Amino acid sequence: MTAEESDLVLVKRVQRGDKSAFDLLVRKYQHKVVKLVLRYVRNPAEAEDIAQEAFIKAYRALPQFRGDSAFYTWMYRIAINTAKNQLASRDRSPIAYDLDLTDPEESHSVQTKLQDPDTPEGMALTEEIRGIVNSAIEGLPEELKTAIVLRELDGLSYEEIAAAMECPVGTVRSRIFRAREAIDKRLREVFEGGLGRTEEMV
Amino acid sequence: MTEECPSSERHGERDSQLSAMFDGELTAAECELLARRLSRDEALRAQWSRFALIGAALRSERGVILHERVAWRVQSAIAQEPSYGDASGAEGTNANTPRVPAQATPGASQSAQSPRWMRFARPAFGAGIAAGVAAVSILWLRTQEGPETMLAAAPASESITLTPEPASITVAQTTTPAVANEPAIGGTGEPERYSTPAPSSQASFAPPAHLANYVVAHSEYSGPLARRMALLGIVSNEVQPEAADAPRSEPAEKKPATGVRGAP
Repeated sequence: MTAEESDLVLVKRVQRGDKSAFDLLVRKYQHKVVKLVLRYVRNPAEAEDIAQEAFIKAYRALPQFRGDSAFYTWMYRIAINTAKNQLASRDRSPIAYDLDLTDPEESHSVQTKLQDPDTPEGMALTEEIRGIVNSAIEGLPEELKTAIVLRELDGLSYEEIAAAMECPVGTVRSRIFRAREAIDKRLREVFEGGLGRTEEMV
Repeated sequence: MTEECPSSERHGERDSQLSAMFDGELTAAECELLARRLSRDEALRAQWSRFALIGAALRSERGVILHERVAWRVQSAIAQEPSYGDASGAEGTNANTPRVPAQATPGASQSAQSPRWMRFARPAFGAGIAAGVAAVSILWLRTQEGPETMLAAAPASESITLTPEPASITVAQTTTPAVANEPAIGGTGEPERYSTPAPSSQASFAPPAHLANYVVAHSEYSGPLARRMALLGIVSNEVQPEAADAPRSEPAEKKPATGVRGAP
C-alpha cells in the first residue's frame, strides 16, 4: 500500500461522515501546506491563514474527490489556488492597509496583521522543537538514524530503504518506528502534557 | 514491570502500525482498522501529530511554525460543517453523497421524485378539476331550481314563441292560477290569445348575485365554454323579466353600432 492509498482510506472515511479522519489528514499535511503557501506569502501567520482556508475548502469539496489523484496532489492545487486568490485580492485592493490609523480599532487590526506578535514566539518554539529532534536523531543508533533520514528527508519507500540498507522491509518498518518512538519520547519529556501546550505558549 | 509487558507490546505493535500507516506502508485492511481506532483515540491522534511534527522538524522547513494551530482551527471550523454520508460508519454507503440539511431545500424531495412534465401538467390538471367542479355545481343548482326555473332560464326568444303549449298552461295553473284562467277559448277550440306565464319571484333557488359571485370566483379555473354557459344562465336569469317586456328593443340598440362600424 502506498501513502496515496493510505490517505485514500482516510478520505473515504471522511466521505462516510468521519470528520476525525480529515483531522488526521490536516495534521499530517499542515506543515507541508504552510511551507507551500510560504512560497507565495512571506508572513508565516498569513500563510497559516491561507492554509487553514485551503483545508476548509478541501473539506467542502471532498465529496467530489474521486481519488483520481493523490490527496496531497489535490490538496496542493487547492492551496496554490487559495494563495493565488489571496494575492490577487490583495492586488485588487491595494488600500487594504491604507486605513485610518486614528481609529483605535482599525489601528489595532493593522498592527496585528503587520506585526503578528504570535510569530516570534512561534518561531522560538519551532527552533526549540528542531533542536530537540536533531539532538534525538544524533543520539540514535546508526541503522535507526539512516532509516528515518532516508524516509523523511529523501522520501524513499520502505522497499527502497530495504534495498539500500540490504535488510527486509519488516526490519525497515521496525527501525523507522523505533527512531520515531525515541524522538517522540524526547519531545514528550520536554513538552509534558503533549504539544497542546504550544498553543498556550503561543 | 513484567506485568506491563503484554500491554506495552500491544501498544508497541499498534504504534508500529501507526508509524507504517503514516508512511503509507500498511495493508488496506490494517489501515482501515487503525483509522477506526484513530477516530476515537485522541492519544493515538496526538502521536500521529507528533510523527508529522518530527518529519517537519527534520526537513527544517523554513518559516514553518511547528505547532498545531492550523489543525485546531480547521477542526473547529469543520465542526460547524455538515458531515458527509453516514456518520455511523456504514461501510457500504455511497461515499460521494453528501448529507444535505433537510431545511436547505424544502420540497426538494417532491420535485426530485416527480418527472419534469408533471411540473407543467399540474396547473392544467388543477384548472380542469376546478372547471369540472364549477360546471357540476352549476348544473346541480339548476336542477335543484325545478322546471319553473328551467323555463325561466330559457332564452327569451323561446319564451315568446307563439306556440300553444298545454304544458305551459299547466305550469301556469300551478304557479299563477289567475293567469291560467285568462285564456279565452273560442268556438273552434283554439285559444284566442296566448300568454307566457309570469316569472315567479321564488323561482330561483340561489340568488343570482351569489351564483354570479360563485362563477366569477371560479372563472379563472374554468374553460371558456363552461364559463360562457354559466354566465349565459345567470344573464338569462337576471334579464328575463325585461326581455319578456321588451323583446324588440335589441335590434334598435344595434343600429348605432352598425352606423359606427360604417363610419369613415
